Amino acid sequence: MSTENKIKLLIVDDEVKFLKSISSRLELQDFDVTSASNGEEAIACAENGFFDVAVVDFRMPGIDGVQVLKKLKDRHKYLEIIILTGHATIDSAVESTKLGAFQYIEKPYAFDKLVETIKDAYEARLKRKFAHNTKRNREIQKLSIGSSPLGILKALARLDDEEK
Amino acid sequence: MNNANDIQNNQDLAFFGKINANISHELKNILAIISETAGLLNDLTVLAEKGKKVDMDMFRTCSQDIEEEIQRGFATVKQMNTFSHSVDTSVKSVNLLNILKLMINIAGFLSYASKTRVNPPQDAELMILTCPYQLQHLIYQVLVVAFKTTGTGEEIQISIYPEKNGDVRIIFSDLGELYDEKFPIDKIFAIAASIDVKIFIADDFQTFDLLIPEAIKTVTMMGAHD
Repeated sequence: MSTENKIKLLIVDDEVKFLKSISSRLELQDFDVTSASNGEEAIACAENGFFDVAVVDFRMPGIDGVQVLKKLKDRHKYLEIIILTGHATIDSAVESTKLGAFQYIEKPYAFDKLVETIKDAYEARLKRKFAHNTKRNREIQKLSIGSSPLGILKALARLDDEEK
Repeated sequence: MNNANDIQNNQDLAFFGKINANISHELKNILAIISETAGLLNDLTVLAEKGKKVDMDMFRTCSQDIEEEIQRGFATVKQMNTFSHSVDTSVKSVNLLNILKLMINIAGFLSYASKTRVNPPQDAELMILTCPYQLQHLIYQVLVVAFKTTGTGEEIQISIYPEKNGDVRIIFSDLGELYDEKFPIDKIFAIAASIDVKIFIADDFQTFDLLIPEAIKTVTMMGAHD
């Protein structure tokens, strides 16, 4: 699959070794991954590039996950954001959800669950993007039934690209 | 139990809880790195088994990263253990530099932690008789205020000066402006008073000076602060 047809991910975490490993694993899953080790870098990446889904650490030095979430949501209408945190609290989960986070995942987590959540977030992004396009929405629904998850994503990525 | 006792117990427990939360957050980060790196090793192995070309340096880097994180985990658990045992004896002889370094390490887990540079005296004995738990509590609170006022990219200086009478002075300098209504200055003064520590704040609010006595006999009730 060419880079254009891959799901574009932005991964943000101040733990550099974690960032390196998770980015490599997601690349092996055929995602197009850009990594940022702090909030400032994440915002700069989002200003210069296009992403489908962002996975953002909640607690970071400088600009924290909440501020990154707000800024990314302000600038990218259809971007879905997953919050990943080692410091989960009910308050931070509620705050993230209120600000429009797609999902809130606590570290340590199962990698397969993260991949599934990214796929769900991407599907949600497409549904929102094509909310007023009945034909596209029907195609997305059809693709979501009876296909392998990766097959769904590849097909959805193609539909998404057709609309860019 | 009277009200002052209740308040002191609550504050002590809150501090213990705060430190445990910091440490558990650090351990979660370490476990997350080990988990992802081990997962990557597994993914690379599967690829190699399928006959795909895999860069051997990636295996080496992953193994080194896991080893380093395990060592980081051991160091964190050791710090947790030292901190937990600090409540065993209310007043005892302790090495001030060790206590300061322990609190710098634990406070360093905070996302807003500044860099720190400790300037210890050369060849000086820094043993004091104090309540280790309350001294840790005091140093931690001062570090929190210092970090919040200074910022993550900056470095604060922590200098230690033994006095001729055996007391020890710790000076936190290169801070941002300390005076702020929301900071728990009263709480810091109350903790300090409980172990006879005197606090001096510079006129420009950018230096925090603790004068720690060589010996105390008992821990005084902190009183109804906070």
